Amino acid sequence: MLLMKQLGKVFHTGEVSTHALREVDLEVQEGDFVSVTGPSGSGKTTFLNIAGLLEVASSGLFLLDGENVNQQSDSQRSKMRNQKIGFIFQSFNLIPELNLFDNVDVPLRYRGFDAKERKRRIEQQLELVGLASRMKHLPSQLSGGQQQRVAIARALATSPRFLLADEPTGNLDSQMAQSVMALLEDINRQGTTIIMVTHDHGLAQRAKRQILIKDGRVSELTATLHEPLHIVSPSATEHSAKVAGV
Amino acid sequence: MFELGPIFRALLRQKVGAILIALQIALTLSIMVNAIFMMQQRSSQMARPSGLDEANLFYLSNTVFGQNYNHEAALADDLRLIRGIPGVVNATQINAIPLSGGGWSMGLQHKAGEGENSIGVAVYMVDDHGINTLGLELIAGENFQLTDIEWRPATSVSWPARAIVSQAMAESLYPGAYQSALGKTVYINQNEAVQISGIVKTLQAPWNGWDGVERSMLVPFQMETRNSRYIIRTEPGRRDELMPIIEKALAESDKNRIIRNVTSLEDTREDSYRSHNALNKILLLVIVILTLITAFGIVGLAMFSINRRRRQIGTRRALGATQLQVMRYFMLENFLISTLGVVIGAIAAVGLNIWLVSKFELAPLEPQLLVVGVLALYLVGQLAVFYPARKAAAISPATATRSV
Ligand SMILES: Nc1ncnc2c1ncn2[C@@H]1O[C@H](COP(=O)(O)OP(=O)(O)OP(=O)(O)O)[C@@H](O)[C@H]1O
Ligand SMILES: [Mg+2]
Repeated sequence: MLLMKQLGKVFHTGEVSTHALREVDLEVQEGDFVSVTGPSGSGKTTFLNIAGLLEVASSGLFLLDGENVNQQSDSQRSKMRNQKIGFIFQSFNLIPELNLFDNVDVPLRYRGFDAKERKRRIEQQLELVGLASRMKHLPSQLSGGQQQRVAIARALATSPRFLLADEPTGNLDSQMAQSVMALLEDINRQGTTIIMVTHDHGLAQRAKRQILIKDGRVSELTATLHEPLHIVSPSATEHSAKVAGV
Repeated sequence: MFELGPIFRALLRQKVGAILIALQIALTLSIMVNAIFMMQQRSSQMARPSGLDEANLFYLSNTVFGQNYNHEAALADDLRLIRGIPGVVNATQINAIPLSGGGWSMGLQHKAGEGENSIGVAVYMVDDHGINTLGLELIAGENFQLTDIEWRPATSVSWPARAIVSQAMAESLYPGAYQSALGKTVYINQNEAVQISGIVKTLQAPWNGWDGVERSMLVPFQMETRNSRYIIRTEPGRRDELMPIIEKALAESDKNRIIRNVTSLEDTREDSYRSHNALNKILLLVIVILTLITAFGIVGLAMFSINRRRRQIGTRRALGATQLQVMRYFMLENFLISTLGVVIGAIAAVGLNIWLVSKFELAPLEPQLLVVGVLALYLVGQLAVFYPARKAAAISPATATRSV
């Protein structure tokens, strides 16, 4: 469902050019769960932003569901984001002035659903993340883990086939991180394709497929799980064993 | 479709700035509407016709210093001289000039005697050339005859037997039936009988701020005075050319007097309404400045709140908002703030107007004006927020993942 060929991204700031991504060749299948790891500044967020149509590549080819995204207008890309893609952010990005109900409502309004349909979806999604009783609360009245759950509910409310997460557990303690990860795994099992950037190797290894980004270049880790680059923690080994066994 | 609900709820959580701007809009509206109202009042006062052929009229003053002067003969000579100059339509001696601010007033009453109700009226003393010189429209009765004209010595206190009144004066005397004034006898100076022998359509009193400004009368007098005025009507377009010619001709014809203050009636009108014009300009300036301040306030608040919400805007974009939808968000937000503002402002405007009306005895505000003011402020708001809204729409969706 996602195909990148010789994809590159260059940022120009003043006289400095940063090659955030170079010659990326990647294909992601429907139903996959891909984790992305790599050092800070290596291009992970850039990769995710391009995959999620938040930024446009400088060169190369990018097809999403067979459509050449680079050639689309800004408003076409906005519509595609709304219809096909859900986003989860490291710092949740809930809208502080809106209660949970209105937060989950945001993408649904852009989608143009009628009030009844929106209400149904909001309630269903908040139910799913266990926060239906908090509908009228403001984000600031929730814990980080709860806020990320609301963000996940918001991302899923439009029934996207594609979920992108940039360090979704980065601001959470490990217990909450585990529960968010479990939720993502659940969502993936229902058929949603997920790409997740993380610094947590334990979580990364729970994905079906792992890729590494270093200096803007993407390499596959799934086949070579024990590449020396990784500091493999005991729990990570445990999980990778699981993944390898699949 | 429209996100008014959530925009409104979000505003409620960030209300201070919004309320301040709404109050500014309210203040602007209430002042704007009442300032326009006052401007309209003045403009309509200025638009009232004086009844005169203003464009072709001018006047001058004739100050006599010679001793043993024969005023009556000199007046006859002067008028003959002026009327004989080519381009002059007519001329008359007159005691006061409409719009000039200086003149005579008397009271007319139905019954003779002290303590009877009398109606104030401006008095113009002219001869049988008066109506034609001023360019008045006689709508009933007839002009003075030569035989009606009386010589009025400087010490005289009596009044002539006939008078021509303006329609408004006739209406004041005979409400609802001004025509019936014709031929009636009324009393001037409490008990001198005057017969109304004619009615002219319009002739304003010299005082434009007087509430009886439309009430006036002509009496057939030629005056003995050391300081008289002649008013002269020229053929169209020849006034400016004739003003110095006549001044010179009069001055040279008689060395025992001086000719001064040669003034066109148009200048007199301008002088008369100078403060009206000045005040209207000031009011206009107040409106423009207030509107600009409000517009800048809206721009400022919008820029501030957009900068504060950059990440939120990026997130909305990431969740699928098009640039147009982001713009619309801020336009709608402004619409809500403006609505609060115009509601408060409309109430304040009406309140202020009620006070003005009671204080200065004006006609109340027309509702259309309020509607126009409300629409104008909505428009100002939308125009002011347009640029910030475009800035907001230009915020990259990547802001959602980039800014921390
Ligand atoms: N808007 C930008 N303008 C200029 N340079 C940028 C911009 N965004 C990212 N970069 C640069 O591109 C490179 C890749 O950045 P990116 O955010 O993708 O890294 P990352 O892998 O997500 O890092 P981290 O783990 O710290 O989040 C970095 O060198 C960064 O400085
Ligand atoms: Mg990053």
